[in-house]
Amino acid sequence: MNGEGKRRIAVTGIGLVTPVGNDRESTWSALQKGKSGGAQIENFDATGFSTTIGAEVKDFDRENAGPCRKLLKGASRAHAYALAAAEEALKDAGIAPNESDSHRWGLAVGAGMMSVDYDDLKVVEDYATEEGQFCPDRLLSDDFPADPINFCRWQSNAGLTVLAKAFGIRGYATSVHTACASGGQAIGSALKALRRGQCDKVLAGGFDSMLNPIGISGFCLLGALSTDNDNPTGASRPFDETRNGFLLGEGAGFLVLEDWSNATDRGATIYAELGGDGNSLSCYRITDSPPDGDGPIQAIEQALKDAGITAEDIDYVNAHGTSTQMNDRSECAAIRKVFESRIDEVNVSSTKSCMGHLIAAAGAVEAAVCCLAIRDSVAPVNANLQHRDPECDVNLVVNESKSVKIRAALSNSLGFGGSNSSLVFLNPERGEK
Amino acid sequence: MNPSSERIVFTGSGIVCGSGATVSEVWARIESGESSIDKFRWERGRVRRYDWDSSNWPCGIAAEVKEDNRTLVPDRKLHKTISRKDMYGIYASEQAIKGSGVLTCRETMTDASRNSFNDRTGLIVGSGGANYHDDYDFLPLIHEAKGDLTGFGRELSNQVTPMWLLRNLPNNVLCHVGIQWQLKGTNACITNQCASSPMAVAESASAIINGEADRFVAVGHDSVLEPEHMLYYETLGLLSREIPKPFDASRSGTVFGEGGGAIILEKQSDAVERGAEVIGEFLGFGSTCEATGTVELNPTGEGLRRAIEEALENAGLVPSDVGMICAHGNGTKASDLTEGLAIESVFGGNIPPVTAFKWAYGHLIGAAGIVDLIMTLESLKRGIVPGVSSFSEVDSQLADFPVGRTHTKLEGDVALVICRAFGGLNVVLAVRGARR
Repeated sequence: MNGEGKRRIAVTGIGLVTPVGNDRESTWSALQKGKSGGAQIENFDATGFSTTIGAEVKDFDRENAGPCRKLLKGASRAHAYALAAAEEALKDAGIAPNESDSHRWGLAVGAGMMSVDYDDLKVVEDYATEEGQFCPDRLLSDDFPADPINFCRWQSNAGLTVLAKAFGIRGYATSVHTACASGGQAIGSALKALRRGQCDKVLAGGFDSMLNPIGISGFCLLGALSTDNDNPTGASRPFDETRNGFLLGEGAGFLVLEDWSNATDRGATIYAELGGDGNSLSCYRITDSPPDGDGPIQAIEQALKDAGITAEDIDYVNAHGTSTQMNDRSECAAIRKVFESRIDEVNVSSTKSCMGHLIAAAGAVEAAVCCLAIRDSVAPVNANLQHRDPECDVNLVVNESKSVKIRAALSNSLGFGGSNSSLVFLNPERGEK
Repeated sequence: MNPSSERIVFTGSGIVCGSGATVSEVWARIESGESSIDKFRWERGRVRRYDWDSSNWPCGIAAEVKEDNRTLVPDRKLHKTISRKDMYGIYASEQAIKGSGVLTCRETMTDASRNSFNDRTGLIVGSGGANYHDDYDFLPLIHEAKGDLTGFGRELSNQVTPMWLLRNLPNNVLCHVGIQWQLKGTNACITNQCASSPMAVAESASAIINGEADRFVAVGHDSVLEPEHMLYYETLGLLSREIPKPFDASRSGTVFGEGGGAIILEKQSDAVERGAEVIGEFLGFGSTCEATGTVELNPTGEGLRRAIEEALENAGLVPSDVGMICAHGNGTKASDLTEGLAIESVFGGNIPPVTAFKWAYGHLIGAAGIVDLIMTLESLKRGIVPGVSSFSEVDSQLADFPVGRTHTKLEGDVALVICRAFGGLNVVLAVRGARR
């Protein structure tokens, strides 16, 4: 229990699959060097789209993702990333659900967008349309290749299902989708389930991949993506005056969370204490966060309070920092309001400058980054910043990553739809004084 | 068990489904044993985007929501940026909020008090996933591009609405109900397929107990009523050609419904202070996973048994406290049998009367749990366990299982609401009805 009588929760395992690395340490190493994962899209022919670049996961070994090859049949591209990242996190923690404790294990995931694959839509077009108009009865033709496995893969909780089966998790299980805040909210849900004693250990994280023709279409139609097609590594430049939209990424991040005394009793390596969760709804516009930071401010303040600390204790903020003007300015206004006089001391960076925007996975991956930043006393660089937006006057980590002892780190995620999630991670040495 | 002494009560609800657009309307049809499941016919127009005559389909029946888009959401500007199933959630939320009067006190508040009130008011929505037909907006473009992706990309913005992504965000109801009513506190959009909406209720109650917010609007909404969805459910052997018969020996599957439900949760002390009508009390919940994959279920009902036991323990109840069980009872062979076995394993020879509502308004998927909860509270209020009008003979493997055609008198005031989903998810809510 911590000072306020809340059950203390340790982060004891981390797994990552990202555009800059297919595991935890390679991702973290690339982020510290400020290496970008942006490139021309290879997965499909994107040359006709207004944006032809993205941050794809590269050289991913799908066949060996997760503990069981058979399960991959029901796994989408994002689910395979989730299986690999979750497996790495569990191995890292050195624990896994077994016969005697699987009902005390929970699973909380931020699940990615759920649009149908282009290829499946093409099949509908081939078999069940007339001049592009849908004709339902044609689906009943014996020729229509109805594939129930496709259907299962596409259910809203399909990723949760695949992970639960792969690792044998039989307790509290939930899947949340609040767009770009999903991953952070999933970890928040896990924290609460642990604190109320509903489970002793939780596998928590997020996964997403919208780097497919339909996924990227949605963002192209909205004009949300950077169109710097000749500069993929410099396209994501959060807080830079010249930014022009985000770089779409993909991947997965998972944490193993467990009761603190359980972790110390078994001699586990503890990355950080998951200290607090804050969660608010901006109620402003569907795609934008309000310019004065209302909404994100409440989420950050709640997270600090929940962790039993104040703005004085935070040394690093992993910003949502999508590289869109509305987001970056709103978030900076919120950070300035919360940190007030300490604004020049608190290190801020958006690792989306390297990884791009992992959408529903972003909050989970960036939570992992906060834990690694605490472990190694490094605030990772905010890459690609050349002309700082004067409206984004916060203490950004520019040029190179910075060595700094981090007592506590804050991870922000602000989603389409207005959901804001903030998580606080505490240095494990802090509590042992 | 609830660690704080504060009790969590329900003070208002809203509903829309095939059986009606108010709680009393839906109740009246249940009480008279009338199902809203039937054949249906869509015509391309404002409400539906293609022609579809279900009579050509082998399992072509459903409980369709009849209300027009403008009845559901009067603000027509919004229609361009949301899907029809979002309207069910927005409509039910408005009914629940207005009916409960939970936001009325804001009208006389100072700005500062109102801001802090809004920050302490939460919103959790259980939503379905995407629908296939939302992606059909791309079909004319695919046709025109003749399967060439380069052409598809080039012509994209000329052929498809810029609002496409926004219209199909799974968290649309969260966003728009939030904006409409300025509910700025703890929030989530839960996508646990058929178990989405009871989880929204459970997480809302937990957040009040945890001190994160003082009151919540919990919502569920969904519709899988579309051709491709119907095709795949049928291919998997889950759909019936007739009104579902939960726990019946001759049951043959489920039938789709669609709709939404919303319920207001707040602290009992707040409800008493503002003189609100209390329609029930949240006592506890259980949530488990069977880790069996998408459609497979543990053959003994073990996962559901754990969820029921967890809900009872969390609520501080023993099995004999329960006066009624609102079962998931979707009418499929495997789900009903394992559900019955799980109930038997907890209650032994003393199972309270069991009912299930899917014969009346079909399977509401993401909205099923919250609509079942609302009708359960109505049953408790009236002291009646409604009969299952499609029922004739119990499954031989569930001998003496207390489900029947006729209404029975309720003993006690506590009910369990069971909800199950793909992926082997089970959520069980324990609630107390309002005093009669």
